[in-house]
Amino acid sequence: MLVNEARQVLSRASSLAARHQLRAISNGTAQLDQQAQPKEAKEPQIKKFEIYRWSPDNAGEKPHMQTYEVNLRDCGPMVLDALIKIKNEMDPTLTFRRSCREGICGSCAMNIGGINTLACISKIDTNTSKSLKVYPLPHMYVVRDLVPDMNNFYEQYKNIQPWLQRKNEAGEKKGRAQYLQSVEDRSKLDGLYECILCACCSTSCPSYWWNAEKYLGPAVLMQAYRWIIDSRDENSAERLSKLKDPFSVYRCHTIMNCTRTCPKGLNPGRAIAEIKKLLAGFASKPAPKLETAALHK
Amino acid sequence: MSLSLVLRGAVRCNAANLVKSARITPLKAYSTIVANAQRQTLKPLALTKMVAPVVREISVSAPRMASAESSHTAMWTLERLVSVGLLAIIPAAFIAPSQILDALLAISVVIHAHWGVEAMVVDYMRPSVVGNILPKVAHIALIVLSVATLGGLFYFIQNDVGLANGIKRFWAIKGKDAEEKKQS
Repeated sequence: MLVNEARQVLSRASSLAARHQLRAISNGTAQLDQQAQPKEAKEPQIKKFEIYRWSPDNAGEKPHMQTYEVNLRDCGPMVLDALIKIKNEMDPTLTFRRSCREGICGSCAMNIGGINTLACISKIDTNTSKSLKVYPLPHMYVVRDLVPDMNNFYEQYKNIQPWLQRKNEAGEKKGRAQYLQSVEDRSKLDGLYECILCACCSTSCPSYWWNAEKYLGPAVLMQAYRWIIDSRDENSAERLSKLKDPFSVYRCHTIMNCTRTCPKGLNPGRAIAEIKKLLAGFASKPAPKLETAALHK
Repeated sequence: MSLSLVLRGAVRCNAANLVKSARITPLKAYSTIVANAQRQTLKPLALTKMVAPVVREISVSAPRMASAESSHTAMWTLERLVSVGLLAIIPAAFIAPSQILDALLAISVVIHAHWGVEAMVVDYMRPSVVGNILPKVAHIALIVLSVATLGGLFYFIQNDVGLANGIKRFWAIKGKDAEEKKQS
């Protein structure tokens, strides 16, 4: 018991030390970058952040922009670092979503300098003559400050049934054996499965702005295609027939804002085009290269 | 601590119910569901008004479920075919002007433009923004306009030099400067 506690304390201490070290290293590199400029670089580098503010608590208050001044000398390089700094040191009422701070959770999606992107992986423009404007994702209902209401988006995602579906569920007992998929079939999912559902693409799409309740939007359609084209999924026909109405897919006018804005570098526009080709019969889903359920026999 | 946990749980359950009800029920009854669900949550929260954050109205719009009633696939395919066809019809009509090619040109150009403007009407004349009447008026006006245009072009093809020849003649008009140059 005692030993365990001692070990815990030790590990905590060492991790703390490691964290200090890491901070020292990262600060060091940050200073190095800035020392590339002339010697008066010690002066504070003040950057103005104009941030969209609205709170449901203040009844009748209209949304407004609030300006914060951040010294980039003692702030991390990313917009999220600045937001956290503002929240910690200047205004604890500033509200935004964040989690992983490395571009894999999709929580901190917002409109930064006119572009939908993740705050944690977008660098602060060090040109201090211009202020940086931060808005919530466009054309979404705002819950508070930079937090949009994602309910409709998640509901649409749920609507496409994003899970593997087999015809012979009874014969293929879950967990008994794996499903087979050839390397070639698997490679079709590359560029689709990486999506983190941050909604940057959907909220950059004018069609989604105008018809968000009927048009599914690029993010959800790309996931629909991810399951349609999966060689292991046997419900492709049903999935496609759910999309053939005039709005779910066909409100896409190939504007391609989705592909332009995707912070993960994916191409939802192409996925939607592939769905349209499958629906029109210009293309068809190829038969799996390997017998998917071979190990279940 | 435990109080806040309970509160959080209550809100979460409520959100889950909202989502569920949004899926099952049609849009019209939806506002009443929101109102009822809110009334239910407000009761347990009333005791701890000071501690709890303000319960906000969550707006969940029920997405349209798979609509089996209409397939847009054939329409989309036709639109693409006309777009591709225009690439052949336009040069053909000008290289070898004839009444048949003129008629084809008139039909395909008018229907192509009609579909484009129709998409704009659907996108920008939404009932949720401009009310129920204006979208229908705009759509009917568009159809009238397209039919009138096509009729006019047909009349011109039948009773005059034809579409391709007409456009060619229009481009052949030369200003005074060109004539002066020729003479000198």
